[in-house]
Amino acid sequence: MPRNGKLVRTSLVVAAAATVAVVAVATAGTASARSGSASVGGAGSTFVAPLVAKWMAPVKQQLGLQLNYNAIGSGGGVSAITNKQVDFGASDAPLSQFSPTCSTCVQIPWALAATGVIYNLSGLQHLNMTGSVLAQIYMGKITKWNAPAIKKLNQGKALPSTSITVVHRSDSSGTTYNFADYLSHVSHAWKSHVGTGTAVAWPTGEGEKGSSGVAGAVGTTPGAIGYTDVYYAVHNHLGLFRMKNRSGNFVQARAKGIQAAALLDTHPAKDGSLSIVDPPKSTKFRNAYPISTYTYVDVQKSSSNAAKIKKLINWAITKGQSYGAPLVFEPLPKPVVTFDKKQIKKIHS
Amino acid sequence: MTTLDVTPEAARRPFQGPRERLGDLLLQGVAGIAALGALVLVGLIVWKVIEGARLSLSTFGLPFVWHNAWNPVLGHEDFGARSLLYGTAVTSFGALLLATPIALGIALFLTELAPRWIRGPVTALVETLAAIPSVVIGLWGLLVLAPVLRDHVDPALHSSLGFIPLFGPPGSYSSNIFTAIVVLTIMILPIIASISRELFLAVPVELKEGALGLGTTRWEMIRGVVFPYSRGGVVAAMVLGFGRAVGEAIAVALVIGAVTGISVNLFKPGYTLASILANNALGASSGLELSSLLYLALILLVFSILVNLLAQFIVRRAGRRLGTLGL
Repeated sequence: MPRNGKLVRTSLVVAAAATVAVVAVATAGTASARSGSASVGGAGSTFVAPLVAKWMAPVKQQLGLQLNYNAIGSGGGVSAITNKQVDFGASDAPLSQFSPTCSTCVQIPWALAATGVIYNLSGLQHLNMTGSVLAQIYMGKITKWNAPAIKKLNQGKALPSTSITVVHRSDSSGTTYNFADYLSHVSHAWKSHVGTGTAVAWPTGEGEKGSSGVAGAVGTTPGAIGYTDVYYAVHNHLGLFRMKNRSGNFVQARAKGIQAAALLDTHPAKDGSLSIVDPPKSTKFRNAYPISTYTYVDVQKSSSNAAKIKKLINWAITKGQSYGAPLVFEPLPKPVVTFDKKQIKKIHS
Repeated sequence: MTTLDVTPEAARRPFQGPRERLGDLLLQGVAGIAALGALVLVGLIVWKVIEGARLSLSTFGLPFVWHNAWNPVLGHEDFGARSLLYGTAVTSFGALLLATPIALGIALFLTELAPRWIRGPVTALVETLAAIPSVVIGLWGLLVLAPVLRDHVDPALHSSLGFIPLFGPPGSYSSNIFTAIVVLTIMILPIIASISRELFLAVPVELKEGALGLGTTRWEMIRGVVFPYSRGGVVAAMVLGFGRAVGEAIAVALVIGAVTGISVNLFKPGYTLASILANNALGASSGLELSSLLYLALILLVFSILVNLLAQFIVRRAGRRLGTLGL
């Protein structure tokens, strides 16, 4: 059957050509990433992804570096850098939260932001909330919007009798880490029954994938409550709680509140981690937003692409900080920048 | 699957001579390597999954399968598959139950009932449904379908069928087991429908016309000829659809509510084997969590292989029965 033979031959040739092309493209990509024809590749946190995306153009322009970033989540970022699949991993949770973790990595706080608590109640814009009431809602102890504990915080507001639909992240996430860390600080019950982690065993509620999933579910469910990174929270036209801090003030998740909270811990621990949730009562923290967080970049101490990685992170913690404002990322305090520069020196080829 | 080649020697070598023989040898080599490659690949995957699950296998052993827990917090780690097996079974059987009658209806309409000019376009549309990426169906399910189900369908089902514990009081959760069932139904519908359509088309015209000639109504003809003739194939199509529902990860992850725990009420959030893998495999915070996820993957893998074998067994048995009937 000559026609069949021709068909087979043609398809074999096409398949072979396609394979060669794919292999060529793929190896070209890795070659430039490895031996570094001026590119740096990273993976991890979705929280910091909008900021990294914003950095790409100026990094190309000012440093001549191609910055590639894959927002697969903090846990994925840590495992990618542990296995040396990327030049840097980005994580909102410190390395100590992962087991096994990257023992040959340096951890560098490179951005500062917060987690916002959102809700869907039409006509009620800036409600007040405290950590302990929030913990009770997320443990299923408070289930109605007109519960006395919520009413007491929002006198004069017409709270409906709608039941509260609790929404949380279903995937492992640095935002969850920040949120659960805060609840563990303000509620003993939460700390002993649930605890802190990038994913936890939720006592109640429904899980949604990613910040967009949480915001989507809250947006379509009257009476829902959820948490997302603050940029998402601010830009979704949903209610955003003002959180009570230890000084007794109700504070919005905005620049001033996050900057005030950042003063809590400006001298990172030996491993480079910082914790700034729930600052204590003090005039210094009068306006601090209590669910603020640093987020980290993790790099192998010894890396063949060291020079470019160092250049990138040096830029990120200095010039790069000015790109954060529209995304509600606040500039790193000076002592943190000084510490970061010391950390960067540990990286070598 | 490989089958034995029983072609007689003469038929296999119509051309004699060294050149043709070289071609044959080449063909045999290339095809053999391709077949072997697939086998090796499956073996490697199974081996890797078992290796990854080893830590969890040695920590929890077999009781993992029916242990009901999922706590990934460091220091409190405790894992078990029971609630995920339950969620997987409920969503897949639910979807199969809803999809099968609708799919058979579509297939019958397209082969026996619809006017000829409408068959082509509708067939194409049904097949397009199968081509929609699962993440798109999942997002649509979350943003469009789920609120509608929650506000209208869930309460209606509860008020009419509330005496069955499955249809308990609807909560305010739009992501729940029932939403996942509906999304899965939409996803497996085109599989069952298009295979059934092919099967119904393959029913010999003489049989159908013979039945009609004996004075049966169209429904009696369908019940007496079309269904018995294609029963084995339809069951196999259902098994394939079921397999698809069991393995679907992303769409389910988006709409099921991601809560480990067993709820009889379909209007509460749940979780499945495949969707917890999709959500957490990349972000596991401990070696034990990752290993337990791979243990779940192993269960899923074994299950998928069983489902495939079952489908093949059914098709073969149906084929033999039809053979003895002389069809």
